[in-house]
Amino acid sequence: MIPASVLEGARARHAVKPAADVDIAPVRTTSERDAFVRFQLDHYRDDPNFVPPIVAERRDFVDPAKNPFLEHASLQLFLARRNGKIVGRIAAIDDPHYNQFHNTEVGFFGMFESVNEPGVAAALFDAAAEWVRSRGMKSMLGPVNLSTNHDCGLLVEGFGSPPAMMMPYNPRYYPALFEATGFRKAKDLWTYELSTSVAPPEEVLRAAERLREEGVRVRPLNLRDLRSERRILKQIYNAMLGRQWGFVPMSDAEFDFIAERLRPLAVLRSELCFIAEVDGEPVAFSLTFPDANVGLKAANGYLTRFGLPIGLARLAWATRANDRLRVLMLGIKPGFQKRGIDAVLYTETLRAARALGYVGGELGWTCEDNHLMNRALESMGARRYRTYRIYERKV
Amino acid sequence: MADVFDKCSNWKDYKIAKATGLYPYFKAIEASHASTEVEIDGKRIIMVGSNNYLGLAGDPRVKEAAHEAIRKFGTTCSGSRLLNGTLSLHEELEHRLAKFLNREAALVVSTGFQTNLATMAGILGRHDIVFSDRQNHASLLDGIRLGYATEKRYRHNDMEHLEKLLQDADPDAGKLIVTDGVFSMEGDLCNLPKIVELAQKYKARVMTDDAHAMGVLGEKGRGTAEYFGLEAQTDLVMGTFSKSFASLGGVIAGPFDVINYIKHKSRPVVFSASMTPAAVAAALKALDIIEAEPQRRARLLDIAEKMHNGFRAMGFDTGVSVTPVVPVFVGDQVKCFRMWKQLFEVGIFTNPVIPPAVEPGHALLRTSYMATHTDEQLDRVLEQFERIGRKLKVIPETRPTSYTPVKIARPGTYVIRNEASQRWAAASAGLLADRGFSLEQIARMTPGEVANKLFDAVETLTWRAANLQPDDLKRLSTAPLKLWEKRSGIRNLPGVLLEKGANFFMKNGTRPEA
Repeated sequence: MIPASVLEGARARHAVKPAADVDIAPVRTTSERDAFVRFQLDHYRDDPNFVPPIVAERRDFVDPAKNPFLEHASLQLFLARRNGKIVGRIAAIDDPHYNQFHNTEVGFFGMFESVNEPGVAAALFDAAAEWVRSRGMKSMLGPVNLSTNHDCGLLVEGFGSPPAMMMPYNPRYYPALFEATGFRKAKDLWTYELSTSVAPPEEVLRAAERLREEGVRVRPLNLRDLRSERRILKQIYNAMLGRQWGFVPMSDAEFDFIAERLRPLAVLRSELCFIAEVDGEPVAFSLTFPDANVGLKAANGYLTRFGLPIGLARLAWATRANDRLRVLMLGIKPGFQKRGIDAVLYTETLRAARALGYVGGELGWTCEDNHLMNRALESMGARRYRTYRIYERKV
Repeated sequence: MADVFDKCSNWKDYKIAKATGLYPYFKAIEASHASTEVEIDGKRIIMVGSNNYLGLAGDPRVKEAAHEAIRKFGTTCSGSRLLNGTLSLHEELEHRLAKFLNREAALVVSTGFQTNLATMAGILGRHDIVFSDRQNHASLLDGIRLGYATEKRYRHNDMEHLEKLLQDADPDAGKLIVTDGVFSMEGDLCNLPKIVELAQKYKARVMTDDAHAMGVLGEKGRGTAEYFGLEAQTDLVMGTFSKSFASLGGVIAGPFDVINYIKHKSRPVVFSASMTPAAVAAALKALDIIEAEPQRRARLLDIAEKMHNGFRAMGFDTGVSVTPVVPVFVGDQVKCFRMWKQLFEVGIFTNPVIPPAVEPGHALLRTSYMATHTDEQLDRVLEQFERIGRKLKVIPETRPTSYTPVKIARPGTYVIRNEASQRWAAASAGLLADRGFSLEQIARMTPGEVANKLFDAVETLTWRAANLQPDDLKRLSTAPLKLWEKRSGIRNLPGVLLEKGANFFMKNGTRPEA
């Protein structure tokens, strides 16, 4: 067995040098920030599977005045230019909550895009690494956009179809860029694909039936009192993920920020979101949403064109024809796991999805070593679909 | 007629302090047990107020070296270095220190105070300007007074102020920036990276007083400049032997020409008796040990971290210190004395620091540690501080739920914030600066650009509208009311517009230039 330090050294020697003709500059002005956001749209112009985010949404997302995550975390955006033309971008992130929670000295990076040139990627990573190091960090994890509570991971397996809502997407050559510049795998995140035409296995149905008899009640989200529902979700979320890899607790404002983004979807199809209660106490939830990416792809990044709500109309039109789901999250309070509550939630979701005419959807992500969850998903007939990877590098 | 003695007999502070039994100074130590415990008034007391950072003052090897020097050279040199006072020992120590500090030359002087006097008085000329931190050690201030240079004092570690002073200064004058490396009372570091950057920008020389840093900071113990990785950019470095070096005296190290000049021209050196043989030998031995035993530095910083965090966990404030100088803020001067006295009574020696050494209302107990303190001693110190701190209501009855741990200045923890990263800091600060457009900017745009901006604004507004919250709606509904309340401001609007418009046309040359 080769010691890790030797490997590290070898990797460093083989690491690509930053390209000399690329100028990395921090984003200083709002117009540069605008360019940072819009670069993604240009970059994927010819990729049929890319789903452009709403530009206005992304702009707010990286705005410290708008995104509550940036109230405690700091962010620095960088643009790589060659002869004045943008060829790459990266964000360096310092999340003190993460480091406090895990007692680590880790910085993050994300929102990485680059042309297919290791030299450009190396220059971008070095800029992020230097910024992260200047804040006293020892290593850098990513890509995360901008924390593990948002979308994260680099797509390494499962190209060839548009990503699910709130999951990242990238060209096939990105993993090679990462590995050529000294990154190594920190963790794999998996997503699963499940068709609603697959009948749930017998034992899952039986378990669900038994629990129902034991008094586990499953109810859809109460739209009239979203505020208290949100509180319930947040409480279960923070309790359940506490011990998981990469987890960082969300502040109320952060949770609300994400919840607000999802609210239209929840209102649209509230039949798909469930809360499970044992003796009146909420112990688990399952959040499934229609895959908004179908609509977003039609909008192509803008709600309006020439001041007219063209994108908005397209978005609405495409959403009508949407038959895909994203099972965003299934959460069970510690102490109620391994009791089959997930089975009840799952059968309820499946029933509702079928009734609404959805044909299938993507579940996830789950950590590769979250065996409990992975086994459960597989036993329900889900198929591993995509692999996202989080990389790490010393800075 | 005034009598020069009047101010002495009229000085009441001492009498008051003495009468109330709170006078804390000039405590005579009767015996010392391995330096960490001393005997005062027949009582054994844990010493956490000494600058003997590495605990070498009680080291048998150092003591033996001093004995040996006395046997060989006697008890004094009876004269100035220039004439009869230079021993081979002095030269050996100077060579060794120059090598240790990576400098061309070094000069040892009888005390640390005198070293600063000698340097300042020696190198400052009538047309020079010296920039000095407001909290610099008194020896630097007095040294500057002896030189004839113009003195500019900048606010403590305020780099903007320093830059402003440098900007305003005569560009042709010789400039020196002088700062303590570790500030002696509050234990914080100077912002050397920025000082060096400014020095290079404005062509100034840099000197650090590393009295409290030499032997303590940096991987090899060479002080603040080594810690920051800026030794090449720091022109002069000063240290004393009375702290980590277990002796008495001081050293100034730097370019040969400068040191040689001070040696021959500076009166505090030329007209003063040289270091005693015992002191030189002790410093030499201590240097040997400092070079050979880096674990002492590591232990010292471990202790410092333990004490900082220990105090902070109880709710004490240890300020911005990142070194083994751990100030414990008390606030009120009298309370500070009372706390000192109670600590003293239970066997803990600290140093009360009161105005003018610190700002009024910021009285503190200065504690400092040795590498030879045992964990039991330190735990006892913490325990008593907690008990007495609570009794005097310096800290709350219960420990706070959390505290910010200190970031001790260990070697390697500081990453040079080079030019690039400073640029980035500036970038994040200026990110929000260019919101909105002025009329002038709009006038320069092509119609296409203006249209794009307008469409962009519509897009943003649509996005905002799509994300309206119930709270936002409430705010919107009250907007007319608010406008009504601010109507006086609106009444001025035509005037403001008129003024803006007039300015705009004036600037854009619709009227012929005069």
